[in-house]
Amino acid sequence: MTKSTRLVQNLILLVFALYALVPVYLVFLAAIRSEADLFSGPLTLSWPINFNNFGRIWSEAGFATFFMNSVITAVSVTILVVLTAPLAGFAFAKMNFRGKEALFGLFLAGLVVPAPSVIVALYGNLQALGLIDNRIGVILPQAALLMPFSVFMMRTVMQDVPDELIEAAVMDGAGLFKIFLTIVVPVVKPGLMSLGLITFLFAWQEYLLPLVVFQTESLKPLTVGAASLQGRYGVDYGGIAAAGLIAFAPLVVLFLAMQRSFVRGLTAGAVK
Amino acid sequence: MTLSTRRSLPVLLAAGITASVSIQTATAQTVVTQWDQFAMAGITAAGPAMDELIGTCEPDLGGATVLRTIAPSIGIRDSYRLAVSANKTPDLAYTWPAASVLAGYARVGALAPLDDYYEQYGWEGINDFYRGRNSFDGAIYGVPMEQDLMGVYYNPTLFEENGIAVPTTYAEFQAAVEAFKEKGITPIAFGNRDRWPATNTLSLLLGLTAGKDGEEAVLFGDASWTNDQFKLAAETFQSWAKNGYFPKGFNGIGYDEANALFLSGRAAMTITGTWVLQDMARGASFDLGVFMLPPIADGVPPGTMWGEGSQWQVSANASQEVKDATAAYINCLISPESRKVWVEKGYLVPIGTTPEELKQWDTLPIVKSFFTQGLATSDANFYDLHTTLPESVTQVLYPELQRLIGGDVTPDDFLSAMDAAWETAIDNGERWVP
Amino acid sequence: MLTTRSAYLFLAPSLALYLLFVGLPILQIFGFSFFDWDNGIAGDFIGLANYGRLLADGVFWTALWHNAIWVVLTLAFPLLAGLVLAAILAERNASVVRWLGAIYFIPRTIPLVVAGIIWGWIYNPIFGLLNFALEAVGLGGLAGAWLAQDNTALLSLNVVGAWTFFGFCVIIYLAAIQSIDPSLYEAASIDGASWWRKFRDLTVPLLRGSTLFLGLYAAIEAMRFFDLVWVTTQGGPGYSTEVLTTHIYKTFFLVGDFGYAATLSVVLLIIVLSISAGAFALLRKS
Repeated sequence: MTKSTRLVQNLILLVFALYALVPVYLVFLAAIRSEADLFSGPLTLSWPINFNNFGRIWSEAGFATFFMNSVITAVSVTILVVLTAPLAGFAFAKMNFRGKEALFGLFLAGLVVPAPSVIVALYGNLQALGLIDNRIGVILPQAALLMPFSVFMMRTVMQDVPDELIEAAVMDGAGLFKIFLTIVVPVVKPGLMSLGLITFLFAWQEYLLPLVVFQTESLKPLTVGAASLQGRYGVDYGGIAAAGLIAFAPLVVLFLAMQRSFVRGLTAGAVK
Repeated sequence: MTLSTRRSLPVLLAAGITASVSIQTATAQTVVTQWDQFAMAGITAAGPAMDELIGTCEPDLGGATVLRTIAPSIGIRDSYRLAVSANKTPDLAYTWPAASVLAGYARVGALAPLDDYYEQYGWEGINDFYRGRNSFDGAIYGVPMEQDLMGVYYNPTLFEENGIAVPTTYAEFQAAVEAFKEKGITPIAFGNRDRWPATNTLSLLLGLTAGKDGEEAVLFGDASWTNDQFKLAAETFQSWAKNGYFPKGFNGIGYDEANALFLSGRAAMTITGTWVLQDMARGASFDLGVFMLPPIADGVPPGTMWGEGSQWQVSANASQEVKDATAAYINCLISPESRKVWVEKGYLVPIGTTPEELKQWDTLPIVKSFFTQGLATSDANFYDLHTTLPESVTQVLYPELQRLIGGDVTPDDFLSAMDAAWETAIDNGERWVP
Repeated sequence: MLTTRSAYLFLAPSLALYLLFVGLPILQIFGFSFFDWDNGIAGDFIGLANYGRLLADGVFWTALWHNAIWVVLTLAFPLLAGLVLAAILAERNASVVRWLGAIYFIPRTIPLVVAGIIWGWIYNPIFGLLNFALEAVGLGGLAGAWLAQDNTALLSLNVVGAWTFFGFCVIIYLAAIQSIDPSLYEAASIDGASWWRKFRDLTVPLLRGSTLFLGLYAAIEAMRFFDLVWVTTQGGPGYSTEVLTTHIYKTFFLVGDFGYAATLSVVLLIIVLSISAGAFALLRKS
């Protein structure tokens, strides 16, 4: 590789790193600015830096509640998906049964379903079931919307389980469910971890579903809370920036800590 | 067919799923759910007054307690519509708009008629104009509370420093704008990213070109939107935008940002309403002034845009006991003593408050000045479009106005688009007529 | 492979959830679209009348056109950027790959609602960073109200969409490159091929599968994205950033016309299913 080629390449890598990071840096800057004039320029940092914005948003604007709600919803959705999708993935990967192709096709079609389309009818159903303004009314549909991706990914993961392992266990007369729990699950643990992480990420980011289902302020998650700050808190951009950070910092930290697992999950469906 | 079976019919048709029984629980402690907009900052930020009045008026609920949800003023309108379609309206809500939208809710049976309570409590401060705007098919469905007015907030310091007098005619207004432009000061802080602020401006301009009669001829009569007076209003608005009356990129500036621009002393004026008086009064670093925009067309009497900021409405689903308690509670909230609290603690002037009362009560000069000027032209009051039109028309008005002032369409195109949406709404029976 | 009926028991929980909360509503919207609705209450059966409205609904066609533009822009920019970045990174040492890969992916972890708020500030006409930076380098003449002008709004918004997406492309492409037999590149190097030649003649063709996958993914997302537009422009100014989902949302939640919103949803569903059927046919061929 020539020197100039390498220079150009480094430049490209750098430009995209800035593209990715500058907006994040800006929010951080806005969140730790002292009460500064909105119109004095985006890059002025008045000392001393302070964390008052976080305290104010956390306690006064209800972000402690929004945060807990995001945790509750995202964790519930994750548990629900991790408990159900691997079973289906196992069936699709390792079992023969009538209608397999059709059922898998049904799940595949779900991969592309636009949530706004579903919500038009889902809303009425949730109302009939008494689930509007209820956590269950977000958790169940959210898990359902993530199901096609999860089943698809789990099928890919389960295909890697050696058939001999399962066959040996069947010879020993073990039940299928017992085989799944004692033999398959330990082998695919990393895959389950990836599934859990990605489900958590998507569930945490969801906006439309909680926006329409929740009416009570104390049930709303961070995404809805952050969006509603615009307009309600006027031009308190320090506060809005702090709210934004609260909404995404846990995800960034989680991603950086578990990068390998995330990447394995994201590529599981794509590469094969 | 009853409401509940009609509602679930398509569900049944499409899927054969049985609607589960809706949950109606009777608890020992009666709770009245209340949605209101009285936050501590933003639009209609009369939070301190509401806090105090809940303490004062809760005893009138006859042992029930209030479970309160504060919804942002802009958002409450959409939340309430969702609640109507989910059949989950709160017992009591302080929401907007009235007229066509309120009529739409009444039409589908979501609201409780309040005529008996009007009779029982004699809410005479609410005149026929407001009763009309809160009526559908001969019954009243709302108790309008907040008197809304539009005016021009201005920065007297900037006017003085630049030797510009407060305009009393439209020509003087235009001259003042030009003078500020020459000095490099933004004449009018205006931001329309939120899509609705321009609607208020247009409503005011329509009144000042067509007059109240001209507006009523279109809104309640057979006249078309494509008339000469409406065209003058559209042309005026577009020319303001084109000629630098507003900051650059106004379609990308938020309503709050525009207000901040004015409050920081970087713009000489901003044209908006009393619904943001609280924020203006708390945020201004200078003595705020307000004047009424003078008539634009010849022969149109002076006036300004009026309306009920919002109205109290009671859910049709509430039990009789809750309805009765809620009515007593509303009666307390709009009593003369409470009106004084709204004015003094919330800078919110309830409908029926007289200029004499305002003079005596302890509130800010800007509050007194705004209402004294605005209430002086009560016969000429103009309509606020997005609290009067059906939602289907409003949803055309918002984007079309952004295009009109952005210079993307001509005034004629704008009015034709409005007329088309208007005709469709009338065909669908969505129009409200007092 | 086990041939067993217990498979249905393994499938039952996820299938039940999926059918109840995704499958059923999809069937229902077909039903909804044949009725006249008022404020969320169903009225008369009106047959195909709602579908008849599509032709005359200018906003629908504008929105569809914007979705199409969004598909093309997404294929052109983040996909290409991801491919080039992955090809460069493939030859760097592991820690560089790990760090830059993480950095590029960070925007994807940020909820679109928050991304919209952040970029709204960057584009703000009165205090935004972009205009500020342009003026600082003497290009103040280019400053504008990026999200508020008909000619720049959709493109400016797409830059935000690309921001959240290109890191995902990098990761997918990187994984695919790493599974290519290194001897192919070694052979090319011995032949004296330049970096660019190897990129063009080896990397790009060998990654065709990943490109198809990402292309399909991008196209579907471009048809169904919502959050980003809703928190930034709500489809404005005018109809400059109106897309199918915002049109559906407004028709459904703001106007309460469930029937027409369902009709628009059916159309959207048919479009995404057709796109994916086409892409799967292509995938199978390759």
